[in-house]
Amino acid sequence: MGALEEARELLREFPVVDGHNDLPWALREQVRYDLDALDIAGDRSDRLHTDLPRLRAGGVGAQYWSVYVPAEQPDPVAATLEQIDCVRRMLERYPADLAPARSAADLETARAEGRIASLMGAEGGHSIANSMGTLRALYALGVRYMTLTHNSNVDWADSATDEPRAGGLTAFGREVVREMNRLGMLVDLSHVAATTMRDALDASTAPVIFSHSSARAVCDHPRNIPDDVLERLPANGGMAMVTFVPKFVLQAAVDWTAAADENLRAHGLHHLDTSPEAMRLHRAFEERHPRPVATVSVVADHLDHMREVAGIDHLGIGGDYDGTAFTPDGLDDVSGYPNLLAELLDRGWSRTDLAKLTWRNAVRVLGAAEDVARGLQAGRGPSLATIEELDGTPGGS
Amino acid sequence: MADLQDDIPRTTEVGEDDGLPDDPFHLPPDVPAGDVPAGDLPSGDVPAGDPLERARALLAGHPVADGYSGLPWALRHLPGHDLQLGEAAVDTDLPRMRAGHVGALFWSLHLPEGPAGERPVAATLEQLDLARSVVEAHPEGLRLVRTAGQVIDARNRGRVAVLLGPAHGAALDGSLAVLRVLHALGVRVLTLAGTTWAGDSGLSRFGEEVVREMNRLGVLADVTGAGPATVRRTLALSKTPVLCTRSAARALRPHPANLSDDLLAALGGAKGLCMVPLTAEQTGPAVPDVADHLDHIRDVAGPECVGLSGTYDSGVVHPRELADASRYPHLIAELLRRGWSETELSLLTWGNVQRVLRGADFASRAAQHRREAPTPRITDLDAL
Repeated sequence: MGALEEARELLREFPVVDGHNDLPWALREQVRYDLDALDIAGDRSDRLHTDLPRLRAGGVGAQYWSVYVPAEQPDPVAATLEQIDCVRRMLERYPADLAPARSAADLETARAEGRIASLMGAEGGHSIANSMGTLRALYALGVRYMTLTHNSNVDWADSATDEPRAGGLTAFGREVVREMNRLGMLVDLSHVAATTMRDALDASTAPVIFSHSSARAVCDHPRNIPDDVLERLPANGGMAMVTFVPKFVLQAAVDWTAAADENLRAHGLHHLDTSPEAMRLHRAFEERHPRPVATVSVVADHLDHMREVAGIDHLGIGGDYDGTAFTPDGLDDVSGYPNLLAELLDRGWSRTDLAKLTWRNAVRVLGAAEDVARGLQAGRGPSLATIEELDGTPGGS
Repeated sequence: MADLQDDIPRTTEVGEDDGLPDDPFHLPPDVPAGDVPAGDLPSGDVPAGDPLERARALLAGHPVADGYSGLPWALRHLPGHDLQLGEAAVDTDLPRMRAGHVGALFWSLHLPEGPAGERPVAATLEQLDLARSVVEAHPEGLRLVRTAGQVIDARNRGRVAVLLGPAHGAALDGSLAVLRVLHALGVRVLTLAGTTWAGDSGLSRFGEEVVREMNRLGVLADVTGAGPATVRRTLALSKTPVLCTRSAARALRPHPANLSDDLLAALGGAKGLCMVPLTAEQTGPAVPDVADHLDHIRDVAGPECVGLSGTYDSGVVHPRELADASRYPHLIAELLRRGWSETELSLLTWGNVQRVLRGADFASRAAQHRREAPTPRITDLDAL
């Protein structure tokens, strides 16, 4: 049996739990949530990385749908609720393929039914507007992880891609982590500064996750995880879900992106600008400097390293599909996961190892967070802390 | 739907809902467990004589469904509160709700700073979270409910049913998706006044879409404080009975939130519900003043269209003798003295709210077959 065939067979038994997919934001941007206008029941490879046929082809059995909103939204809480509404409407619309899931038990039920368990993750502490009540409301709506920051700092935690301010987590930030532990919402450390990762590991009594991050030792980018943090995952019980985004996983792509950003800035534009003028400059740059292409093998290199440092019980997959413009060759869209498994089989990963990578670790981690929450709820009630009480005036000093 | 207003099932007809044991100790002491009267009381069941005794007997069968309570906000800065044993710092706790025969409460999610406050969405979610945690902390006394059937179920289990709302329309931030999420979190009443889409000129296009989506979900529209054009358009548009959660009669007292006679008649024609607030400002300083409003609204809108709003713990001054949630029997006694029939009283305290909640459930089920969730934001429909 060829490796690819074996990978597919394996995925039928232990499908992928993917940590991060930005389809809801893509539906907002492309069709303003009009699910008729971009029906994912059919092939949408012209406009999206994700649709139901390709999720099936890719062997996806559970998806954390990201309810990401940019921190610059006028009201990020309202926008986050709109994202949650989008996921709820997707679940109502495609009941044969998508199963609402809030727990480890729901994941196993969905696997037994052959449906894709659908969970939600909020990407960035700005989605709770410094409000514990809002955090609990998100939990009540089914959100099962929150990434502590996105690309910018929040008042209580530093981001990997912003100037250090809090030096990790503030007192209120630690209280947010404690409250997430009490609720059973996973603490997601993708996007956060290494100082925040360490502070959160100190504060959390439940397993943490990295919903879409790779290894900094393999590719030195702030979005990736340093070895000293990976080393702490066995004691914590959590997991790092490897991401495929070329500009984080391939050094040549990191360098190329930095040069492309510099090119935009040299023309007086912000490096994340997507105006027609910016896109024209970008295309011109790309013609002069061909974009380096990542491959399945590059991602497997990250996994080999992460396995060495964190151990096989602490790995997972978070593709970031529809949240990134470029994808590696062979992992072009959500149908590509079998190619990654085939590569790992060729590198000598056992079937048991792969079942942990795709399914078992993620189910174990969510279940462990639920256990911790049950224990904590017996001992303490909802946190009533405010950021003013714990940190003084937000944004000050 | 008047034929549905009073079909309180007996305890034995109600299935298990969540495994909590029935607790007869928390039924009102004068009602033996399992002997909750169904339907209109035969006149023989209510002792003749002392109106207060008669009021209590009547309320035992038809408790008060109170249209507006500010309790969640009042408890916000009251750590360590205990509603079960009694809490002197607020007007509403379980001993006094038992004494006042309160069977159901709408818990306001309004924000003290009004609808124009900053970050209305997060602030409303905080209110909602607080309300849910207060209910969770009092499982012997309170039960969070979402439908008319669950109200009955809570009552048969000796719990006070808590319905979430009204919330401010501003909490939607101009988004129907936010409305759907608030509904998913349990919100059942939304106040339209104070928004750009329900102003003096009536409902905007987005405002109409909000009302239609509320109908589809089963969220009741509260038009207290809205201008006459908005009230009339909402009455015409809504497939679900419309509420005024805190309105008395303008003919008796010229308060901006009180309803003129022609609006009361329109509300009655549409089988809405005017819930009279027990506030000195809107109804007058004494029990007979409140009774005058109730008389008037019954006469103008009809006995199926009048209800009660305690407005306790919402920072208002109450009429004398109606200072807290235990005082409803005094008001009902006054109405008995004025010749209100037992049927009228049972509608006033309980039956009308049940009818409205059932109407919302029915309209929602019917609409979901016909309409899909609409997605526009306010900026798509209203020129700003």
